Amino acid sequence: MNNRLRVRMDKAFKVVFRIAGFACIAILVSIFMMLLYNTVAFFSQIKPLDFITDTQWNPSRHFGLLPLLASTLLVTLGAMAIAIPLGIGTALFISEYATGFVKNILKPAVEMLSAIPSVVIGFLGIVVISPGISNLFGLSNGLNALNGAILLAIMALPTIITVAEDAIHAVPMTVKEASYGLGATKWATVKNIVLPAAYPGIIAAIMLGMGRAIGETMTVLMATGNSLAFPTGFFSSIRTITATIAIEMGEVPFQTTHYYGLFALALILFLITMAVNVLAERMANRIRKFQ
Amino acid sequence: MRFCLLLIIIFFLNQSCGKQANVLKIKGSDTEVNISVLLAEAYFSQNRHTPLSVSGGGSGLGIASLMNGLADIANSSRPMNSEEEALFKAKNIDIIPYVFAYDALAIITHPSVLTDSLSIEAIKQIFKGDITDWQQLGLEKMPLTVYGRQNNSGTHDYLKKKLGIEFSLHAKEMNGNAQIIEAVKVDKGGIGYVGAGYVLKNGKQADTGIKILKVHTPSSKACSPLDYDAVMSQQYYFQRPLFQYILKSSYEKAKPILAFERSETGQKIIVSNGYFPIKK
Repeated sequence: MNNRLRVRMDKAFKVVFRIAGFACIAILVSIFMMLLYNTVAFFSQIKPLDFITDTQWNPSRHFGLLPLLASTLLVTLGAMAIAIPLGIGTALFISEYATGFVKNILKPAVEMLSAIPSVVIGFLGIVVISPGISNLFGLSNGLNALNGAILLAIMALPTIITVAEDAIHAVPMTVKEASYGLGATKWATVKNIVLPAAYPGIIAAIMLGMGRAIGETMTVLMATGNSLAFPTGFFSSIRTITATIAIEMGEVPFQTTHYYGLFALALILFLITMAVNVLAERMANRIRKFQ
Repeated sequence: MRFCLLLIIIFFLNQSCGKQANVLKIKGSDTEVNISVLLAEAYFSQNRHTPLSVSGGGSGLGIASLMNGLADIANSSRPMNSEEEALFKAKNIDIIPYVFAYDALAIITHPSVLTDSLSIEAIKQIFKGDITDWQQLGLEKMPLTVYGRQNNSGTHDYLKKKLGIEFSLHAKEMNGNAQIIEAVKVDKGGIGYVGAGYVLKNGKQADTGIKILKVHTPSSKACSPLDYDAVMSQQYYFQRPLFQYILKSSYEKAKPILAFERSETGQKIIVSNGYFPIKK
């Protein structure tokens, strides 16, 4: 290959990669602009205050964000209450306790969990978890927030475990050895040295898991019953923001108030997930500095 | 979700293969989709030169697709509302309504519910959310759960108008008739509503896991949607025409299949699958 060609190739690839990089940003910005544009159209027809304060979502008359937001938050918090202890426990076990064979099985197993499609998990919710909940708590059916929370916990687990495990693994051996050298037990070391040192990474793991749970659609759509009433607890049937968009997007005529309303919901969802991800990113950066 | 996906896939398919541009696209109505597919298959087996594509969703989805230029025929189990009519007018799209069959709406419960019939008044109160336990109807104590459809459903809309009520906010909204049946099967206090085509097969109850209730009005005896003669003589309370809305620009293309649906063969398929024929 002659020299000129080499230089040309070099320049060409520089341009290719630059285009790839900017295309990504352009996609993000254009999606955001589209959401914003349609949301503005929505707010020219419905007062923003009504959108935020109305306690009912029943398109054509009521465009209230609150019941949907409450449903999303309820099911996400429930999922986190289950996934955080389980996820961090697993991460600690993989990086601190497990050895050899178990470790070699557990890590790929966790990654495989994230490969299960969400419809399959939703189906599991209908066929297994729903009857389980109704038997356990003596309810007539199990299509409720608790069901959704359990399923979302399953879906958030791989993210939480993988990221938390990375953070825990990144704690330098020397620090731990210093602790052991002072006569500390394994548990004392984990509690006082490993967890505090890995703290930012663990928060990042939780945040990323949460982002996964908030944005999940199919699973909650299938397993939570989708009733429009304001949620009153884990046993009430709920309808999340994502499920609402998925259910109603197909039926709305384009360029109507209802159509714009769904974009307003999407924008809210976008902002929530973005905030969660930015927070996670910041936390993750802190452990990089620590290394 | 899957319907959106389907839409997107169909959209891209249309874009990518220009040859397929003469496909007649029929969309909407979970109640009608089964019979519509059977009719289309029967028609296609005789007329292979007209490619057809049939997909479900709710009635609202069909009408919206018609409006958005994604379908030639919208199946709908409810008449078009004035809002939609106005939108079509504003967009300068002409459509032609067509009725090809009738449907009886079945009220179904779990088999353990200790009644075989309900009055219109009781059904009204149940769907409104005033009755939350079967005890309130003098039956065994068991929490009552309403399983219904989403608001893009023509069945949902029909029932709301026929009974003159707003549905309880606590009603669970399922994706389609089949999901309602599955949910009612496992919920001892469950009650729901489905198109007769989902519970009837050759004039008999197709599925044994549920109970199809008789319905009585103050003036009439209790009637079941299983009773062919009662439905045909309009004695059953919940019965309705099944509509198709056709784009005027696609009407010529659609004419043969519309004629087939009303032909003797077409009507026979309709009756044997639990729907009811149009009266001649």
